[in-house]
Amino acid sequence: MGPAVTGPALSGTQTAILAAYAELIEELGSDDVSYRVIARRAGIAERTVFRNYPTRVDLLLATAAWIEATLFAREESHSIFDLPLAIRDAMQRYDERPELAHVVAETAMRGVSGAAPSPGRARLEQLLDAEVPALDAARRQAVIAALSHLDSAGTWVTFRREFGMDRRDIADAAAWAAEAVLDGIRGRVVPERGA
Amino acid sequence: MEEPVDTATAILASAAVLLRECTFDDISYRALADEVGISERTIYRQYPTRAHLLAALSNWIEQTCFPLPPFVTVPDFCAAVHERFRAFDTLPAYAYVGARASAITPTLDTEPAYVTRAIEAMLDVAAPTLNRRDRRRVAASLRYFSSAMFWARLRTGFDMDAGEICDAFDHAVAAVLARLPEATWAPR
Repeated sequence: MGPAVTGPALSGTQTAILAAYAELIEELGSDDVSYRVIARRAGIAERTVFRNYPTRVDLLLATAAWIEATLFAREESHSIFDLPLAIRDAMQRYDERPELAHVVAETAMRGVSGAAPSPGRARLEQLLDAEVPALDAARRQAVIAALSHLDSAGTWVTFRREFGMDRRDIADAAAWAAEAVLDGIRGRVVPERGA
Repeated sequence: MEEPVDTATAILASAAVLLRECTFDDISYRALADEVGISERTIYRQYPTRAHLLAALSNWIEQTCFPLPPFVTVPDFCAAVHERFRAFDTLPAYAYVGARASAITPTLDTEPAYVTRAIEAMLDVAAPTLNRRDRRRVAASLRYFSSAMFWARLRTGFDMDAGEICDAFDHAVAAVLARLPEATWAPR
């Protein structure tokens, strides 16, 4: 399992490298960008890039995590039932940066050597446990898994590629599916105590 | 391999062999050329970028190792997906390639996968009076929960095995279908 989405703090140089690479991915695709070009764009020496990210895989995974945590950052939900709104929002953001959305989606599908595939999991569990504490373990796990899956760049990629949906349709369908998952637990909310 | 195969297929078959020992990223065109016994240039001619190779390899694996059982009804659909998730568990390295290939920027004008059309056809029969928007939302949701991506996310992010992933899939399908008004279903 990869690190949490915040991960270790990045140095200024690292942030410059990742931002430069993200820019270049949008311009050229992720296949064709050399370390030399990244270094020039970031305004640093090529060996500095190598020292921070020895391999292309290291660099790509770090960039994907940075993109997800910055450009695609979610507004924090205060209730599990707000999640469809966050998902709708995220889909619109992915649609504005299609190349980067594909990178984020793909790096999460590499197994244990890839990026964390459900970085929001802990937060979802926290929200669900606070509001709907009485779910049995399997049910709880299924709800979290389904919501994590929907709250990801994979949703945008699949709905676009397989169904030719545009931005509004993707946002609508993803939020709708999340509402469907939440329907099953709507009747089981426990009111907050001491309020 | 008994039958003679074309170069493109021979490259994919060799890539699949290498995939048993290393990840897709560790397969260099150099090593692949040696394995097939052809020049590196020939591989570049067939697969100009690694994205092309990934997409073709995923299609080949899909056809060879994970054929989707045909389905017409919803229960058959669920059974077919369960079978695939279990097959993924026996060959995880191959299944991850499928999940990755479905997430990259399409290299060619990719057609929707067969399973997408099959899900749409299933809904046409099962819920004939369902309005278009709902049908599309249901089809997209079912498609996404039945994907290699769902398997990969739950295996890596939740440490689930195929059995648990099938359970989570069943929950998700039930939740999605529960949104449809009873009256839109064909008499059962």
